[in-house]
Amino acid sequence: MRRDLTRVLAELWRGHALRLGAGAAAAAAVALLGLALLALAGLGVAGTARAGGAAAPAGLAAAGLVSGLAALALLRPLVLLRPLARYAERLVSHAATFRALADTRLWFFRRLAERLPAGLGLRRAGDLLGRLVADVEALDGLYLRALVPGAAALAAVLAIGLLLGAVAPGLAAWVALPLAFALLAPLALAPGAARAAEAAAAAQGGLRAAVVDPLTGLEDTLAANAEERAARRVAEAGAELAAAQRRLAARGAWGGALGGLLTQAAMLGALAWGLAAGPAGVAPALLGLFLAVAAAETLGLMPRAGAALAAAAAAARRLFQAADQPPPVAEPAAPPALLPRGHAIRIRGLRFAWTPDRPPVFDGLDLDVPEGARVAILGPSGSGKSTLAALLLKLAAPQAGSIALGGAALDTLPAALVRSRIACLTQDARLFDDTIAANLRLAAPEADDAALWRALEAARIAELVRALPKGLATRCGEAGARFSGGQARRLALARALLSPAPVLILDEPAAGLDAATERDFLATLDSATAGRSVILIVHRLIGVERPTRILRLIGGRAIPATG
Amino acid sequence: MAPPDAAADHTADTAARRLLARAARASRGRLALPVALGLAATLAAIAQAWLIARLLAALLGLGPAGWAELAGAAALALLSLGLGLAQERAQQAAGEAAKARLRADAFARLLAAGPLDPRPVGERTALVVDRIEALEGYFARWLPAALLALLAPALVAGAAALAEPASGLTLLGAGLLVPLVQAASGIGAAQAARRQFDALQRLSGRFLDRMRGLPTLVLFNRQEAEAASLGAAAHELRRRTMRVLRVAFLSSAGMELIAAGALALLALRHGAALAAAASAATAGPADADQAAATARALFVLLLVPAFFAPLRGFAAAYHERLAARGAAAALAPLLDEAGPAAGPQGLLLAEVPPKVTVTFQDVRLTYDPARPPALDGLSFRVLPGETLVLTGPSGAGKTSVLRLLMGFVRPDEGRIAINGRDITLLHPAELRRLSAYVGQRAHLFRATLRENIRLARPGATDAAVEAAARAAGVLQFAAALPQGLDTLVGEGGFGLSGGQAQRVAVARAFLRDAPLVLLDEPTAHLDPGTEAELWESLRRLCVGRTAIIASHARAARTGALPGARVLEIAGGRALGAARIAGT
Repeated sequence: MRRDLTRVLAELWRGHALRLGAGAAAAAAVALLGLALLALAGLGVAGTARAGGAAAPAGLAAAGLVSGLAALALLRPLVLLRPLARYAERLVSHAATFRALADTRLWFFRRLAERLPAGLGLRRAGDLLGRLVADVEALDGLYLRALVPGAAALAAVLAIGLLLGAVAPGLAAWVALPLAFALLAPLALAPGAARAAEAAAAAQGGLRAAVVDPLTGLEDTLAANAEERAARRVAEAGAELAAAQRRLAARGAWGGALGGLLTQAAMLGALAWGLAAGPAGVAPALLGLFLAVAAAETLGLMPRAGAALAAAAAAARRLFQAADQPPPVAEPAAPPALLPRGHAIRIRGLRFAWTPDRPPVFDGLDLDVPEGARVAILGPSGSGKSTLAALLLKLAAPQAGSIALGGAALDTLPAALVRSRIACLTQDARLFDDTIAANLRLAAPEADDAALWRALEAARIAELVRALPKGLATRCGEAGARFSGGQARRLALARALLSPAPVLILDEPAAGLDAATERDFLATLDSATAGRSVILIVHRLIGVERPTRILRLIGGRAIPATG
Repeated sequence: MAPPDAAADHTADTAARRLLARAARASRGRLALPVALGLAATLAAIAQAWLIARLLAALLGLGPAGWAELAGAAALALLSLGLGLAQERAQQAAGEAAKARLRADAFARLLAAGPLDPRPVGERTALVVDRIEALEGYFARWLPAALLALLAPALVAGAAALAEPASGLTLLGAGLLVPLVQAASGIGAAQAARRQFDALQRLSGRFLDRMRGLPTLVLFNRQEAEAASLGAAAHELRRRTMRVLRVAFLSSAGMELIAAGALALLALRHGAALAAAASAATAGPADADQAAATARALFVLLLVPAFFAPLRGFAAAYHERLAARGAAAALAPLLDEAGPAAGPQGLLLAEVPPKVTVTFQDVRLTYDPARPPALDGLSFRVLPGETLVLTGPSGAGKTSVLRLLMGFVRPDEGRIAINGRDITLLHPAELRRLSAYVGQRAHLFRATLRENIRLARPGATDAAVEAAARAAGVLQFAAALPQGLDTLVGEGGFGLSGGQAQRVAVARAFLRDAPLVLLDEPTAHLDPGTEAELWESLRRLCVGRTAIIASHARAARTGALPGARVLEIAGGRALGAARIAGT
């Protein structure tokens, strides 16, 4: 637990240290201001009592109490100051927190992009969404409910201990000890709440996943009349979350009760000390009572922070767990010794299997794609056509053999550099819930509208886009839901064609086209790809592609073939 | 999102308020316990204040009190802590029940809204998860706190008035100021809270969408640019959140100011009485009257925190109420649409008929008035055992026909009948019991292949599932997988190729064994070899059933479906009469 939380502070929030520190300092200052106010009142009492001596201590003490209270009234500007200072402190600390949380969300997305470039795999999208939304949010407990009040409480306990210690050490123990326990309580309580916190964090991810999965496959859910089953799963996940939240809340409530108990103990302790000490102790006892009252608000809430700390730790663990996945292909440690010159691709003796227990996809593959060549790669599904694209794009690394791009070994090149040279239309190319223009510009952010239209023309979809009332500004919907499967596929093709990369991998570019359009598209591919190397991954050739080489993938090797 | 105007703001707010009021009525019964416990805690606090006042007076030499009172105060402290614990637990239960009810309702509505709902899944998820979670505070804390804020201070003020009427009045006056301050600081807060939730919803929608397409982003090296846009959304959420919090902090600052003012007023007022008592005590031994007066004055002063404690709770919960209102604003239209019952209405099906005839008569359908109709007077009839292939260019209306038969949309005009009965009379879910459907891109859920197939008929035996898997060609590729049919696949079919995922969908259709088969370009994105194999399975699926297939001309022409009738449509109309495939 401690390690995860330390990592949040030291790694994720390092850049926010100044703001966060300022918030905690402000909280401590406000707590001291509150103490000072009541201490002034209390000191009035004590001062009067001491001046009166032993002759008539009680009466003078009463007068002192009055003067103390009157001082409170007279100090009205100061009384007003406290709520205002508290307001300012809360703004500062919360602003710092939410800044840190927003940046944490960014960090999380970056890490996922770095570590899951080939997709989510068996991870549940809803659960990852939960981590981004709810788990990041739960981190606020670390700062807002533990560190900030902790700073305030520490200042209060120290001040009370010193002040009362100077007047009456025995009294100081009666008042400051319970308060010190309250200050330390979260550290003692957090481990006990850890399990409930972990269950709650996992359950909120589970609930989100239970909602996301059927909604994503809504058509299939409805077609199977599976609404009730999906609803039951959501209800169960909701109940599980509620049960975990209840346990966590119970921990929090017990912490709250402990806080109440300890602050009451401090107050009643001051009174008890006064009763035991007799007349001479009246004034210090009253001072102690005033201070205990002043500290009650700050310290009473402190033990509750135990549950918040546990929740923050559980959230942090879930974040790190997802963000620490090793990337499928490690980035080279050193900058490349040799930058690619040109973009010829040369593969030698390639051996690759997705997992050790599966048969290898490639076993001794040799392949050359000279600059400007058009290589058609044929093979039935499952023969490794898409795997070849994954290897060239550094989504996977071969177990043996070499791939060179422009003469530089692929494993010495950063992935970003490789992907700026090789663009790919994959089988699962996806449109985002954004405009057509924005979706196309993923491939070439600087492209002007004319270039977009050229790409759309080449992909045989310009006519349809032109007929849309909003044209290029039409939103595509999630995964291109606004368009039919074939249309979405052609928009993805236009995007790949728009890319300025010198090497294009087109995986079944004609899927979704009818026969006439397919023929038309493939026949004019030359002008669309002008001078670039093209790797055409297709099931079969229809005779208009004019490839410079035709290869068939058989048994993990590329065998020259004839259409 | 365009800035909403004031009228829309008002409507959203009213709808939110109405939704919360409706839900609050349903959970009224659960309020009594926490409120009763809260009132008991207040009584304990009053009694404790009285004991401590007497103790203080005794310390000052004005009256007899000692260890007994101290022990009593300690016992009362323990009692009110226990009451507080019980109250928190009772409140939590009230929140849970309300959340479960609303979540079930909202989720059912989202399912019923169907696949044409334009909101991204992440946004819809935020509706069912985050917004519903935000309502908890309304039921668990705001409702009891609001009731307690009315009742408990009245008790305390009453106790103070018994001791000294003017003090009671002073407290009461301060108490009345509290809602005024809350209301004043809450101006514009409802809007701020709404915008906060809208920002959260947008962030969820965007993240989920981009997350799913991570490979596409990464391959184009756009992850940094996307991170920047996501960062903008995250910081937008931060700004909106701070705006809401500013209001909340302002209201609690106002609250503290009132409490401090009340304490100062009472201190000034009783200062004189206490001073008199003190000087009398200096002069000689205090008499009982004076002692009682001192104790009363101290009692009133000590009541101040007890008086403001429920009001503080009220101020804190006021923020929860604002948050709930903001969260409810977008839920209200979802939960309100069709009155009290969830989802659309319709008749239930007594039994699934073994054979169906589908008739379209002059059917018209328009999604968006600004665009030409999707179907513009389409008519056809398909008899039992017949296969009808709908062909035509993208956007001709092929998919709309299937959507109508699946009950995802209802026709604007014309009549669609199954076995002579108008389908719009049926509940959409009942309509879907008649059909097996394979879409363009079947969604596989994160489960084993076996469970994914069994989705179509949960009661099916393993043997039936395997038979369906064999008929659809799933067994062919499953045999090569490490755990066969028990291999786990990821959301969206991770681990399988597009063609394999479609085979699983066809296996579902076989297992479902429905009289009507609806296929929406099931091979649209597959390579020709896989396509041919899939058609082989689909042809067997259609035998003996009524089938309607939206497809490229290619499939129909290449003889994938011998004997099928082909109807060409364009612009939402039939082009001529249906002809037999291959002719």
